Amino acid sequence: MKQSSRVMLAVAAALIALTFVLPLWHINLQAPQYPEGLGMHIRLHTVSGAQPHDLRNINSLNHYIGMKPIVPESIPELRYMPYIAGLLALCALAAALSGRRWLLYGWFALFAVVAVVGLMDFYRWEYDYGHNLDLEHAAIKIPGMAYQPPLIGSKQLLNFKATSLPALGGIALMLAMLLGAIVIFLESRRRRASSLASAALSAIIAGGCAMAPQPIDYGKDQCAHCVMAITDQRFGAELITTKGKAYKFDSVECLANYVINEKPDFESLWVTDYERPGTLVSADDALFVHSDKLRSPMGGNIAAFKNASFDELKQQYNTDVMHWPDVVELLRNTAADAARAPMTMP
Amino acid sequence: MSRRNRNMVGLTVLIVGLVAGLMYACRTTQSMSGPAAARVYVAPGAYDEFYAFMSGGFSGQVSVYGLPSGRMLKVIPVFSQNAENGYGYSEETKPMLMTTFGFIPWDDSHHTELSQTNGTPDGRWLFINGNNTPRVARIDLVDFETQEILQIPNSAGNHASPFITPNSEYVVASTRFSVPIPQRDAAIADFKNFSGTISFIKANEPGKMDVAFQIMMPGYDYDLSHSGKGKSNGWAFFTSYNTEQAHTLLEVNASKHDKDFVAAVNWKRAEACIQEGKFTKLSGEYYHNVVGPDRVARSEVKQGTKLITPKDCTGMVYFLSTPKSPHGVDVDPSGEYIVAGGKLATVIPVHSFDKMLKAIAGKQVETEIDGIPVLKYDATIAGEVKEPGLGPLHTEFDGKGNAYTSMFISSEVVKWQLGTWQVLDRIPTYYSIGHLMIPGGDSEKPWGKYLVALNKITKDRFLPTGPELAHAAQLIDISGDKMQLLLDFPTIGEPHYAQAIPADMLKDKQTKIFSLTENKDRNATLSEDKSRVERRGNVVHIYMTAIRSHFAPDNIEGIQAGDSVYFHVTNVEQDWDIPHGFAAMGNNNAELLLMPGETRTLSWVPKTPGVYPFYCTDFCSALHQEMQGYVRVSPRGSNVPLAWGTGGLNTSRPVATK
Repeated sequence: MKQSSRVMLAVAAALIALTFVLPLWHINLQAPQYPEGLGMHIRLHTVSGAQPHDLRNINSLNHYIGMKPIVPESIPELRYMPYIAGLLALCALAAALSGRRWLLYGWFALFAVVAVVGLMDFYRWEYDYGHNLDLEHAAIKIPGMAYQPPLIGSKQLLNFKATSLPALGGIALMLAMLLGAIVIFLESRRRRASSLASAALSAIIAGGCAMAPQPIDYGKDQCAHCVMAITDQRFGAELITTKGKAYKFDSVECLANYVINEKPDFESLWVTDYERPGTLVSADDALFVHSDKLRSPMGGNIAAFKNASFDELKQQYNTDVMHWPDVVELLRNTAADAARAPMTMP
Repeated sequence: MSRRNRNMVGLTVLIVGLVAGLMYACRTTQSMSGPAAARVYVAPGAYDEFYAFMSGGFSGQVSVYGLPSGRMLKVIPVFSQNAENGYGYSEETKPMLMTTFGFIPWDDSHHTELSQTNGTPDGRWLFINGNNTPRVARIDLVDFETQEILQIPNSAGNHASPFITPNSEYVVASTRFSVPIPQRDAAIADFKNFSGTISFIKANEPGKMDVAFQIMMPGYDYDLSHSGKGKSNGWAFFTSYNTEQAHTLLEVNASKHDKDFVAAVNWKRAEACIQEGKFTKLSGEYYHNVVGPDRVARSEVKQGTKLITPKDCTGMVYFLSTPKSPHGVDVDPSGEYIVAGGKLATVIPVHSFDKMLKAIAGKQVETEIDGIPVLKYDATIAGEVKEPGLGPLHTEFDGKGNAYTSMFISSEVVKWQLGTWQVLDRIPTYYSIGHLMIPGGDSEKPWGKYLVALNKITKDRFLPTGPELAHAAQLIDISGDKMQLLLDFPTIGEPHYAQAIPADMLKDKQTKIFSLTENKDRNATLSEDKSRVERRGNVVHIYMTAIRSHFAPDNIEGIQAGDSVYFHVTNVEQDWDIPHGFAAMGNNNAELLLMPGETRTLSWVPKTPGVYPFYCTDFCSALHQEMQGYVRVSPRGSNVPLAWGTGGLNTSRPVATK
């Protein structure tokens, strides 16, 4: 997985861990004689009042309608939920640390199941409290009236307006899930760029802000860095400035050296997919291999690959597979080494 | 139309025009009341700017009002039993009203005083004096409840009290009525041998009020007081009248001297004399009644005080000659000017603190009385406000260099300038103002926006209510050059004096409920399953809980006529503003009003067999009317067993309705 994906997963793990201190859900009860409101926080391990005595007061009022008192100790889910949340956080953390995709997918699937089952269970409890009333001891009986608060939103229950909304912990969980979805999207896009959906999405994302590269006229165009004619259709590269001007290069190393030396303000960088000569792809989407098996024009021996997977390339070339920033870093170090080396050439 | 008729028409048009014009003018005049109404209008749900604490006078209590609306917010029971909430009736509060004279259900409370830090009200406590049976009470401003009452021994008529020193070191007390000290059987005509005392009461530690020392004074009437501040911090000033020492028909006999005295007491000097052992032990029992951490009041009987005699402690007391039968003695925010309200004087005399110190240093002494030097009037006087009106009583300050003096006889407030002694403005009061009050107006930093006139005579100001009328207070805007009357409002009892403080200093620290987990009352029943009934001989203790909308237990049998029954009722609610009441039929006692988390005990001695209902008296819930129960009282010696319950008798674990 990319570095950024792993960071996002680590953040997701931290967000899930927040639920150990932050409430998941908040149910607020507002009535004419309770201008200050009564509130309930649903937490991983308990249900507590928003203010010190709120739960006691809610139970005290609920006895009039025959509702069971809300006793956190009698809700078994509250005993398991900390473990489930802990597992989710650990899975996300493991995926982040290992960079393993299967962990990412496994975690996300578990997360989704927990979210759906959790909400259904929450609804079931709300239904149970709201419908299973002890009518024999209830002072206030209204035929057909149930007191189930909504899962999300507001509902008038006699004199009380019940408002149920995710609290900070619940929002943290939602953010964690959103991060998971983003990571999965990014990772799958890298893997199957040809898939229609991700291609369409990349087009939308790329088309919105980046300009398409100009075709390189092989044999005529000059390299902007080494000033040689661009001839090898497997290695051509291009830089589009923020103003929309195109600079063309005969190789990946010339593009990288130009970026290192000139520090231009660029909109996008393009390299040729080694497996599809003459086809420019975004440098951000490509994987790079530095190998003697690849004879590039300026001797940098670096080629770009769009559709090959990380592992395939690694196997095929028996070397490290790089992303664009790694290429820049590699050439920066090479240049520095050269500068430090004793002058052996006149 | 004849010429005459035409003239008539012209005249009619003219008159109609004039009348219309006048009506228009009147209309615009009347609209001047618009701003006044707007300035006292506090919209529904909005809050007042100030809490005002008014003494209850002969009601014995303190009343709390919002300013500028004049709405009454609360009556705080202090010196009088309050059947309304059981103060002074419940077992937990009865000790508050104990004295060496026994249980006293009433007093005459005169002057409220806020605690101060650095000469400014700090919103911690409110003090008030009991004039009739000398006492001082402390009210906590977190819960607006009386927490402590100290009896003042060797005193009679505690009037010049409880004025406070700038860091609440002391509140003072003094004798309005001189008596034999120590008390003894004596001929009234032996009055020349009677004495007064001035007491300094340690006030800066809650629950620890005590008489620090007393000063033996000549047998005059000591009337009012105020402490020095700023440069005069360390001094306290007391007015005296009846220097004639009359004991009968005082209205004539005590009004003969042209000048009476302001006593200037250097209390730091008094502290030094105590340190140096220049005091004698004076006998005298007194009560100190304190509400403990368990919210139960207990009485402690204390013995004896330290008495300083002025001639043994030179430099402690001086008399400032002051015309004539002065009432108020008020120190301006800077601490320099000491204003005396000589109620029969034709001027308002203002003493200078600096001149007083010079007169003491320069021995500008007219005479000496019982070891107290009398300083010459000319040596201490800074100025006189000429033709201020009639009957000046009491002065407060706005912090902008102005003073406001109440005029009882000419029934007005007079605004005058410190330093120039010029009268700047005057406004009538309805009628016969006694004290007046500016929020913080007796402190170093007055909030000089409003003035409240506390009037003694009401007559036609409100709808008549038979011969007994409420005393009237009047709110006057003093923010501009001209004073403007904004509002009349009725008060309880007779507010002699008042204090006020910005609402922001108190409103956010108010107690909403008493926490059950902190309820340390040994008779508390903290949950319904612990409710029970216990018999110990002829005494029956009922440990009861109250919650919406039932008592536990609510059926009790096995009580016998003549038993002493104690209902220990705990309100186990923890919800804001859900008090419960408790009352039993035929009880020769009051009711209980229980705040959430509070325990109170009501005693009851049923005399005749029968079934006695009890019920909740404070409308608590939709099923408040259902919050009731029964006690069966059987004849003495009956074999009906003791049984109780809620939802079924004869079970020690009552079934709770959940």
